[in-house]
Amino acid sequence: MTNDASNGTLKHIRNFSIIAHIDHGKSTLADRIIQICGGLTERELKEQVLDTMDLERERGITIKAQSVTLDYKAEDGTVYQLNFIDTPGHVDFSYEVSRSLYACEGALLVVDAGQGVEAQSVANCYTAIEQGLEVLPVLNKMDLPQADPDKVSHEIEEIIGLEADNAPQVSAKTGLGMEGLLERLVSFIPPPKGDITKPAQALIIDSWFDNYQGVVSLVRLFDGTVKKGDKILMKSTGREWEVSDIGIFTPRQKSTGMLRAGEVGYIIAGIKDIHGAPVGDTITHAKTPQVERLPGFQKVKPQVYAGMFPISSDDYEDFRDALEKLALNDASLDYIPENSDALGFGFRVGFLGTLHMEIVQERLEREYGLDLLTTAPTVIYELAMEDGEVMYVSNPSKLPDMGSVNEIREPIVRANILVPQEYVGNVINECVVRRGVQLDMQVLGSQMQLVYELPMGEVVMDFFDRLKSISKGYASLDYSFERFDAAKLARLDVLINGDRVDALATIVHRDQAHQRGRSLVERMQEMIPRQMFDVAIQAALGGHVVARSTVKALRKNVTAKCYGGDVSRKRKLLDKQKQGKKRMKQVGKVEIPQDAFLAVLKVND
Amino acid sequence: MLSLPPLALYIHVPWCVRKCPYCDFNSHTLTDALPETAYIDALLADLDAEMANVQGRVLTSIFIGGGTPSLVSGAGYQRLLAGIRERLTLAPDIEITLEANPGTFERERFADFRRAGINRLSVGVQSFDNEALARLGRIHDAGEAVHAITTAREVGFDEVNIDLMHGLPGQTMASALADIDQALALEPSHLSWYQLTLEPNTAFYSRPPELPEEDVLADIQDAGQARLEAAGFQRYEISAWSRPGHEARHNLNYWRFGDYLGIGAGAHGKISRPGDQGLEIERRWKTRQPETYLARHHDPRGFMAGSRVLSRDEKGLEFLMNALRLSDGVPGELWRRHTGLDEARLDAHTRAPIARELMLETHARIQATPLGLLFLNDLLALCDDSVLARS
Repeated sequence: MTNDASNGTLKHIRNFSIIAHIDHGKSTLADRIIQICGGLTERELKEQVLDTMDLERERGITIKAQSVTLDYKAEDGTVYQLNFIDTPGHVDFSYEVSRSLYACEGALLVVDAGQGVEAQSVANCYTAIEQGLEVLPVLNKMDLPQADPDKVSHEIEEIIGLEADNAPQVSAKTGLGMEGLLERLVSFIPPPKGDITKPAQALIIDSWFDNYQGVVSLVRLFDGTVKKGDKILMKSTGREWEVSDIGIFTPRQKSTGMLRAGEVGYIIAGIKDIHGAPVGDTITHAKTPQVERLPGFQKVKPQVYAGMFPISSDDYEDFRDALEKLALNDASLDYIPENSDALGFGFRVGFLGTLHMEIVQERLEREYGLDLLTTAPTVIYELAMEDGEVMYVSNPSKLPDMGSVNEIREPIVRANILVPQEYVGNVINECVVRRGVQLDMQVLGSQMQLVYELPMGEVVMDFFDRLKSISKGYASLDYSFERFDAAKLARLDVLINGDRVDALATIVHRDQAHQRGRSLVERMQEMIPRQMFDVAIQAALGGHVVARSTVKALRKNVTAKCYGGDVSRKRKLLDKQKQGKKRMKQVGKVEIPQDAFLAVLKVND
Repeated sequence: MLSLPPLALYIHVPWCVRKCPYCDFNSHTLTDALPETAYIDALLADLDAEMANVQGRVLTSIFIGGGTPSLVSGAGYQRLLAGIRERLTLAPDIEITLEANPGTFERERFADFRRAGINRLSVGVQSFDNEALARLGRIHDAGEAVHAITTAREVGFDEVNIDLMHGLPGQTMASALADIDQALALEPSHLSWYQLTLEPNTAFYSRPPELPEEDVLADIQDAGQARLEAAGFQRYEISAWSRPGHEARHNLNYWRFGDYLGIGAGAHGKISRPGDQGLEIERRWKTRQPETYLARHHDPRGFMAGSRVLSRDEKGLEFLMNALRLSDGVPGELWRRHTGLDEARLDAHTRAPIARELMLETHARIQATPLGLLFLNDLLALCDDSVLARS
């Protein structure tokens, strides 16, 4: 095969992603494109939509990218191979998003014509532009009466700097403008560059573990070809594998025996562990180890940690098995055993962010039937010790004696917040309360862009929910880690009836300790039900009590009348009481509802 | 040789003139004339089918509950009790209780009830405050209630219980104590003084009235208790008060985990038999709907709606659910006699509550501490948990 011929093939390939905020219609648009390209019939589409919704949910949860290879016959009769790479769309997974974008030459920025641009889309869009992608703005939901294309186009130009006057106006729901969109797509997005005759060089966009096939990697080939039976080499591990299956998704998995430069598809090579095919890694042939690694590879590191404990200690083994299974498919999930005085045996689990944490907890509960108690999330602190050592602490109760610590440093993020002007005051106040430092503030269309440096510990503490509630849901947020900064931090302990409850300890700024402590004990007082005895709740800073409250004892708890004849009604009552207690954790003699362990998250309300 | 627990008989009359908004018992508003004759025939047929469960025992008490059993005539009870005497041996000092509504219509029948052999009357007064009665949906007023109890004494009932509620919507400490004082002035032998609770499947549950706050309820409980004690009444069970020697024997049998036959629509029974592993205990219940119940008289399926043999842990827990309601508990040997279980099983249930000082630590008596009586629901949950944790 000659060079020309291969480039001839490349000419008709278009690799693209869709950048969109949740609810701006990405799935519907994708389904519509698949339908137009004949990937699915109307009937199949219906099923597919359902499947995709489930899949999306699962994918959202497994944090996986996926791809679809489609044939599009343009108006001039040319048949294009469209490779649509779908990506997760949340700040927790920005690394995965960046790898997906790297595999593309272009992206559609889909914006709800009635709602305007959101911070998450902005961040992903910047990533795309930085990586040299051509970004085509698309105004979706044009069938809705509130659609305001002029305003939104203007906003896209202001905020992102993309020419949006001629942005395709579509309704993925009704199909309006879709054919025109695809024509624009093939003319606007350039074909991939690459040389089929060069040694193979492929990027792992994502990998997942399949019970039957082992690790399946979604890849983009930049140069060369990879065939079934080839010996391949993972650049990051240096290990060699034999390709047992290779092909594309249509969206169903379809073996093709080979992938060529410019194409997107999957490789299966007998890899049993997801760490053997990490996201962002480069694949080449075993015989061409000199091929360079593609730029931007990172080892994914958890940013947020929380203790997770089974409500019933009998579930510990099941919990460990479930974590093992989840980790098969989630390279970012990190866990080590943790023993809490208050909560017993569990795990300290590391996540990419709080959404990732929620997803993992939900999966553990839903798919593995576990009842778990999760403590408030915390970030990692860097400790400069007196002896010159540097250590990292991801569990407030494990903070060493402060006498041996020279300096505590907290992670700082750079946060971009987009918010309509009327709520800017609220957002600034919130950032101030959370020790934010303003770097920039700009009017962008009808919105304001605020750039802040904030301690990450403050951001993971419910900041996003808070932003939403003080902006009637309009504010959007994107952030990324910048550096560690020294700060006056200390551990705030909570004592219940005089006993320190390790799972309730938090690390706070000294200036905020009193206010946080007061707010925390008041919240806990509301959450802990009255019991047979007074429950004293104290917040203490280094042994010094800064706030206290008491849950007064119940005076009685007895069912007044018992008709001896029908015992079943009495049993029901007892069972009901037990159901209530199931959501409680016994700490000493005190029963504490699960929610109370998250009370610390709500102290800013 | 295994001895079986004492045997009592419960008879259910499922009709009421009107259903009260707090009531979750098997009671049905009477729309047509009361099918008295047919129902008594059915009750006796029901009893016939239960005869194998008597196992030679003498009947120690009979309780006719409802519903509103006072809707049935004295002649009706005459025939019913005669039918029971034909089939069973009654203890010479048997207690036979009838639940009565204090309305005028019923009051005129009290003498007939007494003549039929009923020797204890339980009058459902609930309150002597007319406003409170109206809110509770009762069809009588305070004057009728007073009159009813006086009449009961006049026609020869020595044993009279007054059912009285507290924690009523809008109730204050003063009105709660006024109810107690009025009840005491009528000199009953027994008082059931219990707190109103909102039960599922009641009108109050779906549209809850505003009840006094928890602390007010506890204050009423404390003050009422003191008032009753000062008047010579002893609290022998969570909600039951009596002059010494006038305890409700039928209820005591429940609380001591005795056996009972249950006949009538929706009636529950508990029967012990010698089994492979000591004592087998069966709970049995009858079909609930009055019409269905009547129809089953001539149906080969009979009156049964269901039954279940208790597991080992259920036996233990249900024993404790009853016995621990008694202020003085029960003698320790009752455990083995009425459950057939050994003391290791008792320990398995009671280890946690004893550690929390909710139960006495002795095998001689199975008894809650004063704290345990206040927190009986917690105590029982611990009894349940401690066996679950082990199994």
